[in-house]
Amino acid sequence: MTVAAIASLVVGVIIGFAGQRSRMCFVGGIRDWILVRDTFLLKGLVAFLVVGWVAFPLSGLVGGQPIGDFGSPALITLALTAAGGFGVGYWSVLAEGCPFRQHVLAAQGSVGSIVYLGGFVTGSFLFHLLVAPLIVTYLP
Amino acid sequence: MSSVESPRREATPAHRGLRITGLQAGVVMALAAVVAGAFFMVRPPDAYGICMSCHTRDLVNWLANHNLGTNLTVAQVSLVFPLLTTIGVLIGASIGAVTSGEFRWRLPERPGKNFVHGVLVMNAALVAAGCSTRLALRTAAGDPLGITGFAAMAGGVVLATYWLRWRAQR
Repeated sequence: MTVAAIASLVVGVIIGFAGQRSRMCFVGGIRDWILVRDTFLLKGLVAFLVVGWVAFPLSGLVGGQPIGDFGSPALITLALTAAGGFGVGYWSVLAEGCPFRQHVLAAQGSVGSIVYLGGFVTGSFLFHLLVAPLIVTYLP
Repeated sequence: MSSVESPRREATPAHRGLRITGLQAGVVMALAAVVAGAFFMVRPPDAYGICMSCHTRDLVNWLANHNLGTNLTVAQVSLVFPLLTTIGVLIGASIGAVTSGEFRWRLPERPGKNFVHGVLVMNAALVAAGCSTRLALRTAAGDPLGITGFAAMAGGVVLATYWLRWRAQR
């Protein structure tokens, strides 16, 4: 399991550097295209999807551990995922960047993004101590 | 339009440092995420190579569990030792910013708003089991839930963008 931890640290450094040099953002692509018809970030999002889509089965062919079968999800999980996904998109645009972009901005000196990350950590505790028990209690 | 970060205004003359386009960054990030999951055991769950919110959750919950004696949820891969993706991103982005001379302290106009946005995005991401990056990754992996979440995220982005534009033009 420490292999995974070290690998994730290395992956983080690589994507953090790439993200800083490119201003990559996963909500900014759609936003910039709507506002100013700029495709710089949208190309990144599309490339991410296409390369992932090709690389997942390919990694299984060259000896990697293939991804499992996802099965058919329950309706309530589907609804929760849709609601959560909508919230991620909506509030990330208001926050002027997806979580990845906020980490990059925090690392290049944006105090607002550092405060955002404080909210991120607080939000994680809030979710596990308050929101998740509420969801489990009041949803079937 | 004041609160919208325009790409033209932000575009910095990259005299120093490596130039990477959005497209190239997307390719590198997707490859890194797939390779981490397929060859370096960053799993289960599947398609977990990059997630800024889940990995933050794993890290802070693991720290709380081991130091405060709590019993908060962490992903299976982070039970023994948590994933450090978020720390890595902060390090990598700092290297990129310092080597290119782009590091600059900037103070927020309304830090309270930033904090609330962080709380809201984290909660929405944990409900959907993925930040925007991982929702895209799960979509690429063919997870029906991931596709649902990604489509909903795109809908949220569109709605929020039109709302921002409407408010700016009012």
